Amino acid sequence: MTTRGIDFKALSLKDALDLAVLIEQEAKERYEEFAAQMDQHRTPDAARFFRYMALNEAKHGEALAARRAELFGAAPSAVTRAMIFDIEAPDYDAARAFMSPRQAMTAALASEVKAHTFFVEALPALKDADVKALFEELRDEEVEHQDLVKAELAKLPPDSGLSDEDFVDGPTAQ
Amino acid sequence: MRKDLVFGMAGSGGDGIVSAGDSLLQAASAEGYHGVMTKSFGSQIRGGESSCRVRISTEPVLNPGGNLDVAVALNWEDFLKFGAELPVAGSTVVIYEAATGVPENQIPLVGVTPLQVIAVPIAEMAKSTAGTERAKNTVVLGLIAGWFGIGGEAVMKGISKKLAKKSQELVDANQKAFDAGVVFAKTHPLKADMTVEPSKTKGAVKLLTDGNDMCAAAAIFAGCQFFGGYPITPSTEIMQFFTSHVWKYGGAVLQAEDEIAGIGAAVGASFAGRKAMTATSGPGLSLKSEMMGLASIAELPLVIVDVQRGGPSTGLPTKTEQSDFFAAAFSAHGDVIRPVLAPTSVADIFRITVEAFNIAEYYQTPVIVLSDQEIASRKETLDPIDTSQFKIVNRLLPTGSDLQDYKRFKQTENHISPISHPGMLGGTYLASGIEHVESGAPTNSGSVHARMNDKRIRKFDPLKERKDLFEITGNPDAPLALIAWGSVAGVCREALQMAREQGLDVKLMVPYLLYPVAEQTYRDFFASVQKGLVVEQSHLAQTFKVLRMHLDLPKGLQSLARSGANPFLPGEIVAALHHLLSELQRSHEGKLQPQE
Amino acid sequence: MSANATCEFQAKDYKSDLKPIWCPGCGDYSVVQGIYRALAAIGRPPHEVAFISGIGCSSRIPGYTTAYGFNTVHGRALPIAQGIKLANPDLMVLAAGGDGDGFSIGGGHIAHLIRRNIDITYLVMDNQIYGLTKGQLSPTSQKGRTTCTSPYGSLENPVNPLLYVLAYGAGFVAQASPTDLAGMAAIIEEAIRFPGFAFVNIQSPCVTYGEEAQQIKGLKAISENLSSLGHNPADRLAAMDLAQHYGEKLHLGVFYRNPEPAPTYDALIRERQAALSKDAPPKERILDLFIKK
Repeated sequence: MTTRGIDFKALSLKDALDLAVLIEQEAKERYEEFAAQMDQHRTPDAARFFRYMALNEAKHGEALAARRAELFGAAPSAVTRAMIFDIEAPDYDAARAFMSPRQAMTAALASEVKAHTFFVEALPALKDADVKALFEELRDEEVEHQDLVKAELAKLPPDSGLSDEDFVDGPTAQ
Repeated sequence: MRKDLVFGMAGSGGDGIVSAGDSLLQAASAEGYHGVMTKSFGSQIRGGESSCRVRISTEPVLNPGGNLDVAVALNWEDFLKFGAELPVAGSTVVIYEAATGVPENQIPLVGVTPLQVIAVPIAEMAKSTAGTERAKNTVVLGLIAGWFGIGGEAVMKGISKKLAKKSQELVDANQKAFDAGVVFAKTHPLKADMTVEPSKTKGAVKLLTDGNDMCAAAAIFAGCQFFGGYPITPSTEIMQFFTSHVWKYGGAVLQAEDEIAGIGAAVGASFAGRKAMTATSGPGLSLKSEMMGLASIAELPLVIVDVQRGGPSTGLPTKTEQSDFFAAAFSAHGDVIRPVLAPTSVADIFRITVEAFNIAEYYQTPVIVLSDQEIASRKETLDPIDTSQFKIVNRLLPTGSDLQDYKRFKQTENHISPISHPGMLGGTYLASGIEHVESGAPTNSGSVHARMNDKRIRKFDPLKERKDLFEITGNPDAPLALIAWGSVAGVCREALQMAREQGLDVKLMVPYLLYPVAEQTYRDFFASVQKGLVVEQSHLAQTFKVLRMHLDLPKGLQSLARSGANPFLPGEIVAALHHLLSELQRSHEGKLQPQE
Repeated sequence: MSANATCEFQAKDYKSDLKPIWCPGCGDYSVVQGIYRALAAIGRPPHEVAFISGIGCSSRIPGYTTAYGFNTVHGRALPIAQGIKLANPDLMVLAAGGDGDGFSIGGGHIAHLIRRNIDITYLVMDNQIYGLTKGQLSPTSQKGRTTCTSPYGSLENPVNPLLYVLAYGAGFVAQASPTDLAGMAAIIEEAIRFPGFAFVNIQSPCVTYGEEAQQIKGLKAISENLSSLGHNPADRLAAMDLAQHYGEKLHLGVFYRNPEPAPTYDALIRERQAALSKDAPPKERILDLFIKK
């Protein structure tokens, strides 16, 4: 979770909105990638959950993008994807073959926590009041997202506590 | 007067006998003679036994010749080490160093009485004229000029030119030694006249070079712009030629860290869109085999020259053999066809190398040129080659429409897919050693693998129809036949001539394309054959076995095979043909009938 | 170091449609992401990039990019890559592979590319194990490590990739890890931009066969940023000193960057070609060399 080349002190509302859109976009793509990984490795339940998460991120992203368009139209953006790294996207390390839905949700929860931390840590550097307000809003939304995932988690029957590795085939030599 | 003379000379490296051979051949070619020179060495870097065989003729020369007409022994120990490479017969004049102390009637050659034996105080003459025994080779050149009429002025002109940069004193010393040789010859005339007729083509432009240099020059002519290799005898001169010349044509050469990296760099250069080449000898060929497989599956054009030497392993690094046929055709795992071409002389290694590039580029495949130590290091005088008669083939590049939805390994009617290279917009793809689908994406599908194997193998079907990659001479309906390739082909060409002069009805096939085996061409050739010989320098008779693997051979076709460094002589092949004919006559009670 | 907002290419332009076969959780997912980002930052069109690999899990990487890729044979990414660069110096040439590919079967090649100083960027995804063949000892496995070919513990000392390339005089030597994706992208970018042979050792954990301590969490615990240690990347001896800690510490960043990069082999070749082609006879007349008068 890090950024490159963003000057938070000088961040305008337009750029902040763009940044938020990019963060959602990164997360959406990562979840899609994870879903594809799960497909590749025959882990359909986790794949389904990651697709659901990708959809959620896409929706948030679209909402933010609409807001940006309403306020600033097609004014060029000063931030790019190259400036953000794993803000709300789950770490690559979080995926595992045969991961259970619970493990998948835990990974997603961790990335929502990560995003929350990002906004919390960025806030003190901000100067613009509107930007500050936006970041507070996004920060609070991350809490909502966490609650959403937690609610999904609660719906699941408890894990058996047995390790999948004790049941699945071993890796195949290539 | 003679039309043709074969000299064989041996000594230790310090005797400079190979330099003498070089001077003799150069002088002869300057006088318009045709000539061939081969060299053979012991394994020492300096000072081991060394020999050369120089054949000078008023007619084009097919091979280095059979029995020696003139044998020169600077010491007997070294001369004898070459055994069958320097065969002395009843027609041979033997000249040797008197200082060996061997009486003329006791020379150590068993079972042969030479035409004439002359002990010459060569070292003494060198010392007394030039002031050093090292000028022995120049004395020998003087003797040759005096007795055989070859090289007279031209030899000294060549030597002077070579040494002029050093000192006049050196030139003068050599002149004195040379003159002493001439005088000795004049005052000790031979029993028989052995002078060579004057050349008919005096003053005509001639090329003089060896197989390795000619091969490299042909590659550059064919458009080769990259050479990756590693020093290995007897192929290294090919790389050396590149290091001198390829830069001039926008190309590059890399003396790599090992054999694998040498071919690897060439594979990379080919992937980058350039014509590329590597050259090696047996041990290097073994190391390169994995890369050859890679080039086959990635369908990358590449020319690999294998200058054969005696094997297995280090074997005989300085001697010729034809025992790499199996390795050339079959090394590297998997189902694969890798074309193998074989030149037979310095003259035709030009054409065969150009052809190798054309085949590599057209079929997008590695191609092996199976040269051998003899062709590689032998020097030949040649008539100039008209390069404008050679067609140059380049790989099939994708067109604009191919690049719309580019598939590197697209199935096409002739199984050849347009090939892009880095830098070409729209042509990006993944080349790989792993099996792939048409786009290049890796797969482990059995059905795709079968289809792709089929594509990679069937694309060579038209190559097997190429009649121009076979030379068939003699009576096409002859019942007797010879098959030979590489440097042995030259011996068989001469044997064919001799046999036909002796009334034998015989024909000769020289395949330039060894692999894939052109079954139909052989079947056509075999149609009239009742008896024949596959002549090769391979103890295992690799050629005979590969043919038997692909074809039903005529019952009377036999193998005449032996290990390398034991040359065939035209005479013994003719003798073998006579023997076959008598067998044939016995079995048919005197009348030749077509076989059922 | 700020990214250029008007950059012509974005990371996704370098991402191919092929789905990686890597295990979920593999460090190589981050590495390829770092490569996309580095390439986007530099902005070279994909068709002018040649990306070469050997054999191993990580050697699948060229196929996941839109560059011209070549997935070759085991240990031979570098020989083939150098042929490409020398044949066409205009191309950007990257090579990649694992620790076994680079330091065991292909270990002999690195020294020579370094001494030639061919302008190639070599990325080794070092996971201290043979993953593709199911968990055998690799040249960088720690002594004592138990694997399926060392059931009683390895008796061998590991290769130190950093010291190895520093000793041979590589102009650019760095280490990165998926523990810091931003840092990794920046290092790869810098390595590619460096004029000459550049080497990046990337600690990329094997999620299937890697030891617990070598997973992301374990690596984070031992990682230290070279710039925060005050290391001067122009100081080769200091770099070698730090490189001694390979295996105990994970130093991230640039160990050594030659402040005065030597001319590259590919550039010297061009000079030679230009100098010698001036008075060259046409290649149709090359046989004139053999005319003896």
